Amino acid sequence: MKRILTVLLILAVATTAFASGSQESDMSKDGGSVTLIQNKPEIDPQLQAYGALWAEKTGNEAIMKSVGGSSSITLGQQLRADYAAGEMPDIFIIAGIEDYKEWESLILDMSGEAWAKETSVAFKVDGKTVGCPVAVEGWGMAYNKDMLDKAGIDPASLTNYAAYKAAFEKLDGMKAELGVDSVVSMAAGPEMGWVTAHHNFNSLLSNGMAYGDQSAAQTLLDGKVDAKRLGEYADWVELLFMYADTAVLTTGNYDSQVGAFANSKAVFLHQGNWTDPNMAQANATFKMGFAPHGSMAADTDGIFVSAPSYYVINKESKNVETAKQFLNDLVFTAEGQNFMVNEAGMIPAFANVSLNPKGQLSKSVQEWSAKGKVYSWNQYLFSGDFRDQTLAPIYNQFANGAVDKAQFVELMTAAFQNR
Amino acid sequence: MTDKLENRIVFWTFLSPIIFAFLMVVIIPFLIGAFYSFTNWSSAARANEVLEFVGFKNFTDSFADPSFNYSFILTIIYTVINMLAINITAFLLAIFVTSKLKFRNIYRVGFFIPNLIGGLILGYIWQFIFNNAIPSLGEIVPALSFLADPRKLILANRNSAVLALVAVGTWQYAGYIMMIYVAALESVPAELHEAARIDGANVGERIRHITIPMIAQAFTITMFLTLVQSFKQFDVNVSLTAGGPSAMFMGIPLFGTELLALNIYNTAFVKLNMAMAQAQAVIFFLVLIVISMIQVSVNKRKEVEM
Repeated sequence: MKRILTVLLILAVATTAFASGSQESDMSKDGGSVTLIQNKPEIDPQLQAYGALWAEKTGNEAIMKSVGGSSSITLGQQLRADYAAGEMPDIFIIAGIEDYKEWESLILDMSGEAWAKETSVAFKVDGKTVGCPVAVEGWGMAYNKDMLDKAGIDPASLTNYAAYKAAFEKLDGMKAELGVDSVVSMAAGPEMGWVTAHHNFNSLLSNGMAYGDQSAAQTLLDGKVDAKRLGEYADWVELLFMYADTAVLTTGNYDSQVGAFANSKAVFLHQGNWTDPNMAQANATFKMGFAPHGSMAADTDGIFVSAPSYYVINKESKNVETAKQFLNDLVFTAEGQNFMVNEAGMIPAFANVSLNPKGQLSKSVQEWSAKGKVYSWNQYLFSGDFRDQTLAPIYNQFANGAVDKAQFVELMTAAFQNR
Repeated sequence: MTDKLENRIVFWTFLSPIIFAFLMVVIIPFLIGAFYSFTNWSSAARANEVLEFVGFKNFTDSFADPSFNYSFILTIIYTVINMLAINITAFLLAIFVTSKLKFRNIYRVGFFIPNLIGGLILGYIWQFIFNNAIPSLGEIVPALSFLADPRKLILANRNSAVLALVAVGTWQYAGYIMMIYVAALESVPAELHEAARIDGANVGERIRHITIPMIAQAFTITMFLTLVQSFKQFDVNVSLTAGGPSAMFMGIPLFGTELLALNIYNTAFVKLNMAMAQAQAVIFFLVLIVISMIQVSVNKRKEVEM
């Protein structure tokens, strides 16, 4: 009788295992297949359309996935879950050296690819090209040109702390006249740590330094703090927080921050050119552009421009060749270029692409980089954990008025020393 | 074959799918998770990384981590306030909807409906209310002008943000707990109340001496449910406050409304320390088991048999 029971149990287990096992067998179809996962949900519909077009033209299968946005899980979280489940995508995205280290043993060397000769901003490690730049992006202080004209301020003069201070004071006195709620639209709430502890933080690391110079970041990584540089930077943060709308600053999200600028309720916006689609959505017709950050007493005539993220290929995938073809097609076919520039509105990172994005802020980034007046992105030298969990609450304390400037400097100093 | 044997075969045959499912989705993952908490597992493809056994390091590191300690204390405070708020509200609502009212079934449905809305959506709705609707109310009504002060926004302040979490948690869960109380209240024999009324007991006395002892079993259940619910609070926490605003703890600024579940999630996916998060989850599990067992045994002692 025990034997019958055992047989029955084994049968039950076996049927279930068989049923669940059979799902996986028909994953690959004829021809190649490529699965791509990326972190810009705002371009998901365009990406899906391009993926379908590419699949139709090449006879391969293309599965495009997008994760991210302010509320859902991030790409890093999704990748970990996929990796643990043994479903790592063929093409995924890394943002910098910290991400690279995370997936190092999976990432394919792409030095020999055709697209690598067309770009100067590929992600390289030890001389090997491993990441294909998704686009070029940049941020500075986005300004409303019409309002600056009304106030008689030349955006070209905004290159240091004193100039910004004078401009903010003047504009603050004209709030009623301009119809704005605040001078600058800045966010430091719990969801907006990436504005303060990533983008703004980079001013401390890169502003006024030659492109690619990591010395300021390296000093901080070594636990040494340049008090003068940090002091000037704290002045700048204080200035931004002081002239921001308190509600947007402490509790606002991306929409309320960008919305304030797009709806002409703020003269400046602390964001990058990725806000172009939001401007179009809000029918913002005023003239706009980027001015440099005023985080130093000395002049810093440039904005922060880099490739924000890179496509990498999973070398353990059985679809490596198809994935390589996908990336080359993106760069070299008319459809791929059309998707990148016209559909997704990105600034192309490749010399062979002659299309230009339509958005005013993207154009401004292109102008700055054409002039070579650019500073690097060094915030990725610090781990996401350090920026999100250690620095972001410090900025938030300062924004809430819980600590003053001197305490802010102390907390930042302690954070670097104890990192 | 005897009848007894046949019964047993039928019994186990019908039980086997559920035992199998239970093993596969609960017991085995639980054991794997407990195993990982003693290793340096990272769920990433770092170069030269091998799975190593690190003993209790993840556990000791967790207790040395200020943000974990802070979240632990905060979660206990939150749980106490939340349990009180939900149970008092639910009990009063239950008395209200079991009294002789018109449309009382409509009220029951109305109070229950928030429980059907997902916690994430609910959090965003209330975030809008706290950040936009309430300040606008302050602008319109002169007597409430303090609400419009951007420095005093409810979610911009640690203490009021915790209370906001309690308010939303109560709004979501009180209706569900109310239904349990309603069922219990309706099973209290009417003749007890009748006899007490004849003896001259007023409403308050009848609730204290008849209703509450008679529904002590319901308290055991509701207390347990609210305890576990509060301890595991995650979705409303993510969407309503996202852990903010920041607060100072042991001289370090950290996220002021980050409850334990969110803290563990952030350890795993922001700090990218999977094994430590796993250890924290094990601690979380043990603490929750001990606390809820104490709660159930205390409540059980108060139950009366008819």
